[in-house]
Amino acid sequence: MSTQEILARMEKAMVEGNKEEAEALAKEATKQRLDLNEVIDKVYVPGIQKVGDLWEKGEYFLPELITSAECVKGTMSVLQPEIEKSLISAKSKGKAVIRTVKGDIHDIGKNLVASMLAANGFQVVDLGADVKLEEFIEIAEAENTDFICLSALLTTTKLAQKKVIEILRKKTSEAGVKFWWEVHR
Amino acid sequence: MSGPVKKIENFKVEFDEKRILTLIGYKKRPKEIKEPIKSLIAEEKKKLDNLLHPASIYTIIDYAVTNKHPIFKDAEKVAICVCTIGPELEQEIKKLMEKNEMTRALILDALGSEAAEEVAIQSDRILAEKARKMNLWPSKRFSPGYGKWDIREQRFIFRLLPAADIGVRLTESCMMVPRKSVSFRINFYKEQRLSTRKKGT
Ligand code: B12
Repeated sequence: MSTQEILARMEKAMVEGNKEEAEALAKEATKQRLDLNEVIDKVYVPGIQKVGDLWEKGEYFLPELITSAECVKGTMSVLQPEIEKSLISAKSKGKAVIRTVKGDIHDIGKNLVASMLAANGFQVVDLGADVKLEEFIEIAEAENTDFICLSALLTTTKLAQKKVIEILRKKTSEAGVKFWWEVHR
Repeated sequence: MSGPVKKIENFKVEFDEKRILTLIGYKKRPKEIKEPIKSLIAEEKKKLDNLLHPASIYTIIDYAVTNKHPIFKDAEKVAICVCTIGPELEQEIKKLMEKNEMTRALILDALGSEAAEEVAIQSDRILAEKARKMNLWPSKRFSPGYGKWDIREQRFIFRLLPAADIGVRLTESCMMVPRKSVSFRINFYKEQRLSTRKKGT
């Protein structure tokens, strides 16, 4: 298989959500010693873009987005160790710390967001569900994170989001922290 | 007066395909569900026989036994009920997520939501029928967390019902565990009202 062919088929597999094929091609790419950062730039970046475009056009829905994100995660688990071996660090768009707030155990939505962020080139520190507030902020600080993502589904647990925001506002009044949370009506 | 506490366990859960598609994110129905999603839905559905353990528990109480929250006003009696599909489906979802099978997890989660809803619908029908047998008029089904009935009112329901008997408990933040559980009430009125329902519903 030529490099061009591998790259084209990889992108196709990703856009169509064909995980086995995507992972097999990633293995092929490492075997052929292709420049893996180039693979990421030429396959994943435009691939995920295409998936996003199809979503915008109303042709793709959440399940298709998630399947493509699964492909990215699956192939990255093949490529990442090789990239690390070659001592080139993959480019990251930023770091996000994500969790479901304490008292809430809804984690499927949070996991979907985490995998989507990862597929789009963000580094994600996933703290799971039901994490204590203080612990979460401590980790977010230690990790030097760019984004803090909180998930809560119930009126009772949404209060925790408010609290995090208050604490962070106090701590970082001038640091320009971005707030991004999901509000349910 | 508090009536006896009863359990229902013989549910046959059927699925409304359209609602499942909406739950997994098809905001409008696409012409066809493409592969691989189509097969994934079919495969996850097949697992359900082993993963669903539907049950509900209910009691019918006099107005005097309620906490007199305005939503019970004028009711002669109130039926309260907790329904669940059990914890097994959630355990499977967790396993899927750990294996990077997020789409399957999303689909199974939606199937579980729909199954829980279905157990509530069927329990609701049984309770409405009981109201009619008592010559009373049943209201629609209402759940804490909707409209004027705050989610914290879950505590009232769990005070009156030994939901642990069907494996459901309430956390401090008023969440039911297992997650795929539903609680609700139906008011039974002496007279027909705008809010009471028609026969057969
Ligand atoms: C399906 C459903 C159920 C199902 C399944 C519940 C479950 N948790 O598994 C059943 C029927 C069992 C159920 C039960 C109840 N439910 Co319910 N349920 C829903 C419903 C319709 C959809 C939730 C869902 O599964 N979505 C699919 C998943 C994949 O999406 P998601 O988790 O929201 O995540 C997406 C986004 O939110 C976002 N996201 C999530 N996290 C994050 C984080 C960040 C940073 C970002 C950017 C984005 C993001 O991205 C995700 C992907 O798109 C919502 C209403 C709604 N439309 O949201 C009500 C809702 C959550 N339920 C509600 C209520 C009240 C209840 C009950 C308390 C009712 C009752 N008394 O029985 C119970 C509670 C159950 C429990 N365990 O305690 C209320 C909660 C409101 C409140 N007052 O607290 C809601 C909001 C409905 C309403 N009133 O409007 N429910």
